[in-house]
Amino acid sequence: MEPILSVRDLTIEYAARRGKVRAIRSVSFDVRRGEALALIGESGSGKTTLGLGIVQLLPSTARIAGGSIVYRRYSDTGQPMRETEVLTLKDADLRRFRWAECAMVFQSALNALNPVLRISDHFADTAKAHRYLSGPRQGAALTERSRHLLSRVRLDPDRVWRAFPHELSGGMRQRVLIALSLLLEPQLLILDEPTTALDILTQRNIMDVLKELRTQLDFSLVFISHDLSLAAELADRVATVYAGKIVEIGEVYTIFRNPHHPYTIGLIKAVPTLTSDKSELTSIPGSPPDLIELPSGCKFHPRCPLADDHCRREEPELIDVESGHRVACWRWQDARAVLKAYQV
Amino acid sequence: MPRILLGAARKIASNYLLRRLLKALFTIWLVASITFFVIRAMPGNAVDILIQDLTIQGVSPADAEAQAAAMMGINLDQPIMGQYLDYLGNVARGSLGTSYKSAGMSVTKMISQVLPWTLFSVGLALMITFVLGIALGALMAYRRDTWIDHLLSNVAATLDAVSPYLIGLLAILLFGITWKLVPIMEMRGAMSPGMKPGFSLAFFADIFKHVRVLLLVYVLSSVGSWMLQMKSNTVTTLGEDYVTVARARGLTDGRILTAYVGRNATLPLFTRLAISIGFVVGGSVLLETLFTYRGVGFLLARSISERDYPVMQGVFLIITIAVVFANLLADYLYGWLDPRVRISGGGN
Repeated sequence: MEPILSVRDLTIEYAARRGKVRAIRSVSFDVRRGEALALIGESGSGKTTLGLGIVQLLPSTARIAGGSIVYRRYSDTGQPMRETEVLTLKDADLRRFRWAECAMVFQSALNALNPVLRISDHFADTAKAHRYLSGPRQGAALTERSRHLLSRVRLDPDRVWRAFPHELSGGMRQRVLIALSLLLEPQLLILDEPTTALDILTQRNIMDVLKELRTQLDFSLVFISHDLSLAAELADRVATVYAGKIVEIGEVYTIFRNPHHPYTIGLIKAVPTLTSDKSELTSIPGSPPDLIELPSGCKFHPRCPLADDHCRREEPELIDVESGHRVACWRWQDARAVLKAYQV
Repeated sequence: MPRILLGAARKIASNYLLRRLLKALFTIWLVASITFFVIRAMPGNAVDILIQDLTIQGVSPADAEAQAAAMMGINLDQPIMGQYLDYLGNVARGSLGTSYKSAGMSVTKMISQVLPWTLFSVGLALMITFVLGIALGALMAYRRDTWIDHLLSNVAATLDAVSPYLIGLLAILLFGITWKLVPIMEMRGAMSPGMKPGFSLAFFADIFKHVRVLLLVYVLSSVGSWMLQMKSNTVTTLGEDYVTVARARGLTDGRILTAYVGRNATLPLFTRLAISIGFVVGGSVLLETLFTYRGVGFLLARSISERDYPVMQGVFLIITIAVVFANLLADYLYGWLDPRVRISGGGN
């Protein structure tokens, strides 16, 4: 079966006063039907731009400089129905693609709902814009489905349904948004740092809700985060993004057990685990590169303990290191040495 | 007895509306009192000015004084505190007194004769200004940094900076004299001489003909600041996350413009609108005088020059009452429009 989303050589640039910000540089990846893909990277690595690019909601300063995003719709029984090039969608077609096919839950849950409208109005607006559940009993059917979704995300529909956004806590608002994102039964859900603005207990709660929804409902997920441990909980596959490029992609288990890119290794080593010694905890030296004046060769070389002349001269492309595991690094075979190098 | 009073006081303190009403009454009393004393602090009084007029006409000073006192039938020697208490008593009974100059004419009647004209002209202008300001302001924000935004921003800033009086003079000069688009006579007064007021098309056509240039001047002199405020509100709202999320939800542009951007961007303007409604009763002293439009502002200007204290007091009082109650209305309106400031948790 072909993937529901195929991103190929996608390049996105921002116009800035100093020059072009190369936020996404020739990125390719697939999202298969029913799978969860995590995009992991530091802030400023371009992962949010990637999410916004997929739903065509980039700010006006951004420009898609090349590539393609192919979306494939499957019927409930798994039959391919139609194929769409997202980048050529316009006006009404684009509007219908958003949320009905691909819903995106944003980072800023606190301000994602219109303060002057009730939660019920948000559901009604969304349904109306997509002519969802039209028919004589539309109102009742919509209310029933919406309230069902609200209880799915562990909210009390009686309390939330007629409430205004300001009457709900941040965690509740984020869960309302997740429920709202599932209203039109989209095939693809993009979650951009869905727990970042929330405290640790609320974060736990949202993660549990998401895991539960994954087992109950049929949708694919793109999970954007800087937090590898959250990604590990939810994702089937993980892609690490550095300086607007995917530098490693593979099954979640492979990535954690056998990472090959020094950057991925650094990210894993930067997260404390219950069993690890405190002294094993390290951070990656340096900071993410300036996306306007990128370093030569491999963009990670200024921070990489393994960097040599080859790395400084030429940028590596993704290559298969084992089945389904791809790495963009000249020295991936020496990656194990990085573990030692970070500890110095 | 004190117990009953205490109970009443507690009841008032616990009732929001009652508390606001009492505050409003206090404000009105305060402004009325200040007005009362301030207008009497102005140099000259009604009799002096009448005597002056009569002397200019050739009457001897002694005769003029006697004549003036008799004509007005007022006792200016009464102590000022006594006059003040008389005035308050009259107001409490609903009477605004009688004019000095037009002897025997009740102030209430004088105001009610001119009030409709002001309400009509300023009210209509306010409605046009509000709608136009919101539409153009939103357009500027949606087309930010395009030529249309630059053009409208400059026009709005210029209109906002130029005084209404100057715009009025320019309008008369350009429309009446340079371009001869509107006959000068149609710019004077509220209707043609001999026109019978009534619900006839001819009457409405006539009053509109007379008000159109004044209306244009009112709109031009205030629309600029509405436009600029609406633009800045809209730009802020367009940057809000809920607007981006609404786009991501695939809502139609129309729905986003009205319910998401429009409603939030206009919220602060409704407060301003309600307060402006209060000022509608005052009209514009300068513009009504310039266009000899016999409204409240015209009456006020004349009564000030004649030192006709009761008329001045009356006009100031109704302006005060209108503004204070418009403020009250604004608070309630805002609470109704914006669920976040609703007074008693109306959410559930």
